[in-house]
Amino acid sequence: MSGFLLEQRRLARFRRLPDCPLRDYFAWPLPQPSRDYRSVEYVAVDLETTGLDARKDQILSIGWVVVAGQRIRLGTARHRLLRVEGAIPAESAVIHQITDDEAATGLDLAHVLPELLWELSGRVLIAHHARIELGFLSAACKQLWGVGLLIRAVDTQSVARRLLERRQIPFKGSDLRLHALCERYNLPRHGAHNALSDALSAAELFLAQAAYRDSGHGMKLGDFL
Amino acid sequence: MDVELIEIREFLASHAPFDRLPADALDALPQRLAVRYLRRGSPFPPDDDDTPCLYILRRGAVEMRDAEGNLISKLAEGDLCPSPCGAGMADLSGKTAEDTLAYLLPCAELDRLREAHSAFAAHFDASMSDRMRRALDTMKDDTAGTALMTVQVGDLLSRPVTQGGPDISIRDAARIMSEARVSSLVLVDEGRLVGMITDRDLRNRCLAAGLSPEEPVRRIMTERLHTVRADTLGFEALITMSRLNVHHLPVLDETGVRGVVSTSDLVRVQSANAVYLVGDIRKAESVETLATISKRLPELQIQLVHSGATASQIGQAITAITDAITLRLLELAEAELGAPPVPYSWMAGGSQARREQSSHSDQDNALLIADHLKPDDDDYFKQLARRVNDGLNACGYVYCPGNVMASNDKWRQPLKIWTKYFNTWIKRPEPMALMLSSVFFDLRPIHDPEGLFGELAERIHTMSKKETIYIAYMAANALKHRPPLGFFRKFVLIRGGEHDHTFDVKHRGIVPIVDLARVYALSAGLDEINTPERLRAAGAARALSADGADNLVDAYEFIGTLRMRHQAAQLKRGEKANNFLSPDDLSPLERGHLKDAFALISTMQESLGQRYQAGRFA
Repeated sequence: MSGFLLEQRRLARFRRLPDCPLRDYFAWPLPQPSRDYRSVEYVAVDLETTGLDARKDQILSIGWVVVAGQRIRLGTARHRLLRVEGAIPAESAVIHQITDDEAATGLDLAHVLPELLWELSGRVLIAHHARIELGFLSAACKQLWGVGLLIRAVDTQSVARRLLERRQIPFKGSDLRLHALCERYNLPRHGAHNALSDALSAAELFLAQAAYRDSGHGMKLGDFL
Repeated sequence: MDVELIEIREFLASHAPFDRLPADALDALPQRLAVRYLRRGSPFPPDDDDTPCLYILRRGAVEMRDAEGNLISKLAEGDLCPSPCGAGMADLSGKTAEDTLAYLLPCAELDRLREAHSAFAAHFDASMSDRMRRALDTMKDDTAGTALMTVQVGDLLSRPVTQGGPDISIRDAARIMSEARVSSLVLVDEGRLVGMITDRDLRNRCLAAGLSPEEPVRRIMTERLHTVRADTLGFEALITMSRLNVHHLPVLDETGVRGVVSTSDLVRVQSANAVYLVGDIRKAESVETLATISKRLPELQIQLVHSGATASQIGQAITAITDAITLRLLELAEAELGAPPVPYSWMAGGSQARREQSSHSDQDNALLIADHLKPDDDDYFKQLARRVNDGLNACGYVYCPGNVMASNDKWRQPLKIWTKYFNTWIKRPEPMALMLSSVFFDLRPIHDPEGLFGELAERIHTMSKKETIYIAYMAANALKHRPPLGFFRKFVLIRGGEHDHTFDVKHRGIVPIVDLARVYALSAGLDEINTPERLRAAGAARALSADGADNLVDAYEFIGTLRMRHQAAQLKRGEKANNFLSPDDLSPLERGHLKDAFALISTMQESLGQRYQAGRFA
């Protein structure tokens, strides 16, 4: 995501919005790319959705966990099932193993999103293939409050791609999948495949990537964006 | 708890000591953790935590070294490093040997858990040996059908003992037995057990022999009886019966004869067929029949494992059968070749001598012949040895790879040559002799009608009393097989080939303890051969601390039982049994206890090495 003038746009939206959870989020400055990445706090997020189109498809579940001080804080880990309008398409029910019945017990987006936004305030988002998370979260904000989300994000997939390209290591698309990369870094494969376990895997992958790129003298946050 | 951290909860629940926490404490644990990633070569535990934390390895490996840089321990998945919390390993420093993902629990949280849960706390207070003992107990409890392992023979005797005096008539004895519906009668004189008769004695020694039923029963009773104590385990009684090939054993307690336990009493508790196998072996008329019977040995091993028998007990049972087969082969050979020209003794070495066989061990044996044999006589013994060695091979006890067998001229010698052999081994120990020490310092006569073996044993005893140098050499030899420091894909596992990703549980776990026990036994002049018996006797004789002895016995049983189980599983799948265990087949808890056992062996080897300055002889 383009970071151009992001901070200025955040400020403008903060001033424009009426009092709402998104305004509270915009009250917090976005971490500057020039900061040492080790001093920044992150939230690893994963979404499961009924499809890939943020304008049409819906969010089924959200998982997140905070990374601070180069440590994943498991106490902050959350997993939320959302109520979905209409039936869940069969193919996404198969992938995510979330049925209509389960989704019917889920929470409203209007209930869950403020909770997540509070955690994201002043922090950087981590996601694997972040385009999906950014697209859906922004669309959800727009739906609820009329304005999209602005946030800095570390896409662990892009970091991995850049790392491989820089070292001129040939790779296939499947090598960039979350679980393939976790294996490469000797990370555990979390048994259950759900939004929280994937968020956790992305957080672990980020720690591993950072450990491999940082020679011990620190790096700029911007190097990961 | 967010149910999605369940995977981390499960990981903790399957590793000591977290397995001892109650469910609600486990539920609350994951959210108190932080996760760190440490690249290979990072200092461990890291010193940059704001609050000190217990480290739990989730992935990766760590090497811990002491101040001198000696490798003390290797940590792998599921292992803890409590040193930041001041609970052990404090003087060690480490480095990650692989990329490592660790869970961090603040020491304050750890302290809280230790206060609230005593079983959990015990892990940090308890010595490694306590943990191992508990593991062994769990293992014994684990398996179904433990009846015979736990029942005492005293508890099998429901009715009051049927007894009579030795001077009543055979007819009266038979009447007492028939009225009481029992198959045996204990004969007691002034409260003292003097003999016993069974149905079989009435048939063979009275009716078939044409003896008048008016004769006193004393004439047909069996004297010098083997007895068992009332607190003997059912299983031990069964093994004694198979070893002696008897079906009745009088049971004694402090007040005298409590009754008679029979094989059918025991078999009623559990169908264990070791006794019947021995019975069949005694009746076998050909090598082919023996070979067919011995095919049931794997089945016996499986059955014993499933009934919860320990490695020692299985070793005893299987060796009893090997002994019976050996004896029968000797009888068959003598029947064909005629009576021996001079007396001889058939000696077993190695695991058969120690009564520690599994199905099927290699054969190790030798022949001791009386000194007055004439040059021509050796041909007889050569043929005898050849028949027995071939017969054992046909029964699945494959030829000794080192050719330590009676058919080898070198190991078929008169007493004076054997005396010379031992004299050399004891006075001028050499590497070659040491290779044989595991065979010839574990020696047991299987067939020795004239007591030749006793003569050899006397001479060895006299020679070894004056010499101690060979013990120092044997001590050095006992340090050759080292246990692994931990288990890690990269460090100790066999790589590639047929046994990829396994470790040799026999040579890295069992042989080191057997070797240690031999040195202790010889240094204290003990005549026990069986490894746990050697260790217990050495502990009693102060050749090592009583604790050290108990711990080694536990380690031996634990490792041996894992091995027996592994083999039983292989046999059940119709595979050939081997000693190559994959860490993946062990539960994380078993892995933990195995590590404890290895660490214990290592410690005992160190102290033995120091005592004999073994390095000088290595």
